[in-house]
Amino acid sequence: MRKTLRLLFGLALVMFLLPLSLLAQERTVTGTILSEDNKTPLAGVTVRVKGTKRITQTDANGKFTLKMNPGETLQVTYVGYQTEEIKPGDGAVGISLKTADNMLGEVVVTALDQKRNPRELGFAVQKLDGAEVAETQRENFLNGLGGRVAGLTITPTSGAAGASSQIVLRGFNSMALDNQPLFVIDGIIMDNSSINESGGGASLGLVETSARNINQTANRNTDYTNRMADINPNDIETITVLKGPEATALYGSQASSGAIVITTKKGKADGKFAVNYDNSFRFSKLTRFPEYSNKFSPGQNGLPENVFLYFGPEYAANTQKFDNVRNFFQTAFTHNHNLTAEYGKKNMTFRFSGSFLDQEGIAPENNYKRYSLKLTNNTKIGKFLEITPSITFIHSNNDKPKRGAGGYLLNLMIWPSTDDARDYLSGSGGKKLLYAAAPNSEIDNPFFNVNFNRGYDETNRYIATLGVNITPFKWLSISGRFGYDRFKSEGWSFFHPLSAILGRGTGGQQDNYYREYNGYNHTITATAKKSLGKFNFRLMGGTMWQDYKTQMYSVYGTNIVDSVNGQGQMVKNLQVISMDQIRQQMGDSSTTRATTRLRLNRGLLPPGGLYNYVLSRQLAFFGEFAVNYKNYIFLAYTHRFETSSIFPKDFRNYNYPAGSLSIIVSDMIPSLKKNNTLSYLKLRGSLASTARSSSPYANQSIFNNVTSSGGGFAYGFTNNNQFLEPEIQQTREMGFEVRMFRSRVGLDVTHYNTLNEKQIAENFRASYGTGYVLNTINVGSTRNKGLEIGLDVTLIKKTNFTWNTRFNFNKMRNEVVSLPANVPEFYISDTWLYGNARGGLVTGGPTTAITSYGYSRNAAGDILINPANGLPVIDANFRVRGDRNPDFTLGWVNNFKYKNWTLNFVWDLKVGGDIFNATDMYLTLQGVSKRTLDRYTPRVIQGVLNDGFQNSSNPTRNTISIIPAYSQGYYTLLPEEEFIEKDVNWFRMRDITLRYNFSENMIKRMGFLKTASFFITANDLILMTNYTGSDPSVNGNTSGTRGVGGFGFDYGNVPAPVSVNVGIRAGF
Amino acid sequence: MIKWGEEEGKKDYAGIGKAIFAWSWLLLSDYHGEIIRTEEAFNTGALTFSYGTQEEVYAYVRQLSHEALAYLNSATADPTLSTADAYMFGGDLNKWKKFVYGVLARSFHHLTNKADYLTSYADSAVYYADLAMTSNTDNAMVKFASTGISGNSNFFGPLRGNLGSTGIATETAIRQSAFMANLMSGLNNAFPGVVDPRAIYLLRKNTNGTYKGLNPNKGQTVITANDRPESFWGITQAAGVNNTAPSNDANCRFLFRNNSEFPVITASEIQFMKAEGLFRKGDKPGALAAYKKGIELNFGMLISTYSTNVPSGELLTPAIRDAFTANPLVVPSSANLTLTHIMIQKYISLYIHGTFETWTDMRRYHYTDLDPQTGQQVYRDFAPPAGTDLYANNGGRLIYRLRPRFNSEYVWNLNELNRIGASALNYHTKEQWFSQP
Repeated sequence: MRKTLRLLFGLALVMFLLPLSLLAQERTVTGTILSEDNKTPLAGVTVRVKGTKRITQTDANGKFTLKMNPGETLQVTYVGYQTEEIKPGDGAVGISLKTADNMLGEVVVTALDQKRNPRELGFAVQKLDGAEVAETQRENFLNGLGGRVAGLTITPTSGAAGASSQIVLRGFNSMALDNQPLFVIDGIIMDNSSINESGGGASLGLVETSARNINQTANRNTDYTNRMADINPNDIETITVLKGPEATALYGSQASSGAIVITTKKGKADGKFAVNYDNSFRFSKLTRFPEYSNKFSPGQNGLPENVFLYFGPEYAANTQKFDNVRNFFQTAFTHNHNLTAEYGKKNMTFRFSGSFLDQEGIAPENNYKRYSLKLTNNTKIGKFLEITPSITFIHSNNDKPKRGAGGYLLNLMIWPSTDDARDYLSGSGGKKLLYAAAPNSEIDNPFFNVNFNRGYDETNRYIATLGVNITPFKWLSISGRFGYDRFKSEGWSFFHPLSAILGRGTGGQQDNYYREYNGYNHTITATAKKSLGKFNFRLMGGTMWQDYKTQMYSVYGTNIVDSVNGQGQMVKNLQVISMDQIRQQMGDSSTTRATTRLRLNRGLLPPGGLYNYVLSRQLAFFGEFAVNYKNYIFLAYTHRFETSSIFPKDFRNYNYPAGSLSIIVSDMIPSLKKNNTLSYLKLRGSLASTARSSSPYANQSIFNNVTSSGGGFAYGFTNNNQFLEPEIQQTREMGFEVRMFRSRVGLDVTHYNTLNEKQIAENFRASYGTGYVLNTINVGSTRNKGLEIGLDVTLIKKTNFTWNTRFNFNKMRNEVVSLPANVPEFYISDTWLYGNARGGLVTGGPTTAITSYGYSRNAAGDILINPANGLPVIDANFRVRGDRNPDFTLGWVNNFKYKNWTLNFVWDLKVGGDIFNATDMYLTLQGVSKRTLDRYTPRVIQGVLNDGFQNSSNPTRNTISIIPAYSQGYYTLLPEEEFIEKDVNWFRMRDITLRYNFSENMIKRMGFLKTASFFITANDLILMTNYTGSDPSVNGNTSGTRGVGGFGFDYGNVPAPVSVNVGIRAGF
Repeated sequence: MIKWGEEEGKKDYAGIGKAIFAWSWLLLSDYHGEIIRTEEAFNTGALTFSYGTQEEVYAYVRQLSHEALAYLNSATADPTLSTADAYMFGGDLNKWKKFVYGVLARSFHHLTNKADYLTSYADSAVYYADLAMTSNTDNAMVKFASTGISGNSNFFGPLRGNLGSTGIATETAIRQSAFMANLMSGLNNAFPGVVDPRAIYLLRKNTNGTYKGLNPNKGQTVITANDRPESFWGITQAAGVNNTAPSNDANCRFLFRNNSEFPVITASEIQFMKAEGLFRKGDKPGALAAYKKGIELNFGMLISTYSTNVPSGELLTPAIRDAFTANPLVVPSSANLTLTHIMIQKYISLYIHGTFETWTDMRRYHYTDLDPQTGQQVYRDFAPPAGTDLYANNGGRLIYRLRPRFNSEYVWNLNELNRIGASALNYHTKEQWFSQP
């Protein structure tokens, strides 16, 4: 820390030192810059003596004059053209610049770590610079992708430290399987799982033990960081987003939801030893809260009562009130340090990186820490062989309070403002009670909650990878990518003996789990190239092997104390136990009473029960045939054959094709480029058919332990289908790319259409004629269409000032094409969080629908009113009453460069999309929502009486007046429909970074430094929204939930705080 | 189990599997009438299922029974079978065969109303009855480990608490019926004045020390306080007494203890089937012998299996049994034997455990059919609920079947239910095939 301060001080000093001009033997160089055709002079081209401030621009005739010293290099940069560097000899310099779109050097990494020139691709890809994402300073790099990629939706589970994030490319295709993309790092498939508490279709998990179990909170109350957050953002060189199945067909069924292909940084072979250090210090503060009111005292129907319902009289004006909500949250401090060291010579490079992150949550007792170490080598052996081994070690741990129902936020909102919630312990050291006599019968004070009802996880992850490239002949290359990905997680969830979540007799609850993952995969390919006249051929064949094992152990127990006595004290072995003793025991499974312990699979098979062992394997062979004509018409065909252990024998082998076509029209008809308006025009189209795979073991029903006489095992009520087939997904994509005005404007338009059939619905209810209640069946289909537009504009390009801007537009439409006629609704039960609203799929409805109870209406659409009480009649049927899918989203990325300053920021606009604001519904039912403020105003609900004439030509208008203060049913009997907020828009600034880069001259004077910069970054700084809750970017479940998941369900979630980061970066 | 047994060559397991399948499939159909077609049931890939007729189910049950017998006849008992079968027959394959014969006998006997009963079914019913269980040691009795957890305790025991701990005022309180209490007390005109010594086993007394019961849907409040029967667990109904389930079964008898064995098919039932079959065939002496044996077997089962917690002074003995059967009001001469004798004694001997079979019997007699021989109801003095005591949708008709499970079939399989008429509001009153002529 002290070193860091010294460094900062040094950097600050340098800022004030003015550069001194150097005296040397100068000469004047003149020259002309022409365009590619060697004819057209280019005006306004920046010519600079490299590493100096000597800069000029060409005149209208493309001429320039500049003073140079011997040995210096001229650097010529011009937007839309490739940068040229030359060491001028004697005489005038003539340089012709090549247009940027002919860049041979530019590559994107596509499926199977193949490097391709973008022009030959028949599908949309979007490439991001790792630095751009790292610069957002977000510890989970996925969250840094928001707004930067057309068609990418990122939904963090909450604003808590260590929260998971759901990432989806091009919307939702599968109604019951995972819709998240595949993650590939340096050609190796990586695990991005988050523990799925709902156990998957095989009903493995702690299904049998009890509803209170750690694995039985249906992905609602406990969040488990998604494993891709382990990756150190600073190790990322590039991120390529392959959005559709056409692009990922070669990856097979796992990549049907697209793929995020990451390359990591390697050392440079420049013979120098380089060290880079950067840091970031972040302060986060919660500024957005659900609206609530503390105007009314506890009570019901206008009368005071000692309850956590606020339908009592208004508080007296002089009542002392505490701002419990603001007192609860803290300004969180996070610091992050990255150190990298690189060394490389001709044939061998090394890169070492280490990072440390310590993130504090805005709620007390919430913390996320991550350490990572990575070593990468690249060695060329002889002429043919190149190997790239790497090893990575990551440790992370996460202290986490509960969220959602039973979490602190909801209790905080309904805690009486006349009580200072910070004072949560009773005089005798127990739980302070407001109304109840026994501690277990009163809701938990939020401070008590975060201190004593909490969870913890820690993960150690090891990744070892090896890349091998062999190029025996110029026309043949063979490559192999081998990777081990292994992690061990352990964690626990604890409920205090005095918590209201438990009964008095439970005496506390401790759940512990241990999870081990071992993944291995390799990909081996051979590629041959051959040119015949104007045709260039490429043939690739390869194989992929994947082997993933997960083992999960778990033990659950209660009675950390024997009993809670009449004084509300905890007693164990006849001794009173203090809160401190309990605190010290948290996480220790041996503190529970031995007879209460349940293990995974009930511990039937000694010793200590059986763990859950999930193994899946897949073998694939694939090939690609590509041909191009004169490098402007590209045609590619791929085919993949898969054998997957997940499916029953008869359906285990499947295969699918993909094809793509790309035509560079501007090269085919060069005259198009004549007047310098159009630089590049490409048309492309592709078709693909892919499969989607289910969870392992979904094809064989498993035996559950039974407790009837004699014991033994029997089939449970979950059917795992022995006739299960893969889902079949068909996609077509068309698009074009245009670059104009010397590539200062680039437009990329893509339309895609995906039909996903024979969907594997797990936990699907159907006739019990199958012998089961919940089924796994190939059923139903969904269609997903979308339009993606990327617009890149270099608005300003001056010597000292550039402004690049990019728009990412995305519009998606999804629809449930078919469900069986006898199935009115399919839903993912995890999303049934609160009240009667859930993520339900109905034929003809959107895939992203919200189904819920609503108002009963007559044929004319008037709300029906119960003639007995003047309240609305509830339509107790789950119908589609909302769609979470936005009308469109627009990300707006801006990069400014002024002299040594850069300013980058991302705006994210979302228009449309509905949210079920369950938090507001809960607060309304408790009498603290702002919508209950005018409760003394008499009103008549607009509608017609449900008196038998409601559908007649002359229905009876409702005239029954209600004063809600005396009839709280006005609020508490509202249907969920009322709380589905329609067309929620947002315009938010995701990330903004201002950075100052010290110029080379300034740095030279520092002696030991090579590069230096400092920055200030703000996250989630601005949010403009019509949403009444705290933040419309919400997820009621974790990213472990399948199908569409819980985005758009807002229930007891802490939103993302505003964060400000400052830090420096220095290279030595 | 059947598949596994067949694959492993374990014919005993395969046979037992088929035996249970046959028994349960017959029961399922008697319960619902039309059910999901056998060849479609358990198809885990199907979404909808079509319904077959009861006639098809009966044929399939017989087919399954014969397949079971074929396996059992050629099987040798696997060493593991005595453990696997510990709670039924302890691995005795002969008893399993008798069980299958019992199922076959039921499948023929249920068809007494068919025009061709005498020519096509009666002989088979009697034939298989003779091959089925003949002594109480052959009885199919489910036993319980009863280790103090719900999963392995008798359904009717206090631990499971399934028999209404509701208070006196509640009309739905589950107590013995007036029909049965009257039968035991000599108040039924079929056996006028005959006090049945089995009452102490089967029923509970009241504060007055007599046996009284409730009429359907009338509750206890209509009878005087001291006449209100104890709960099935022996909790007195006196005012002010907590009548929730007792913490132990120390005062519980018969099926109402936590580890009481539960009869599935008894030798006694078989004899009554035979008696009715022979009676219909005109063999009255044969019918009388079977009838008497049926009563004796029921006494025998109560003595051997259900004496626990019966006051010592009221225990049944062979002497009491013989005195009872010696009463001509109970066992008349063969000429005076009526269907009422057979059906009501069968009713007693199947009391509680054989409810479903009793229901099948009563439906065969449409609850109130008259005995042409006596001009009286076969189920003498039996007054089914009527008027407002029946559910409004019944339209005054009595129940003949249970609807298919709502949660499954009415939600996911409605088209097929519409086809078979199950969506009618009074579908549950539609008579089943087995009892139709």
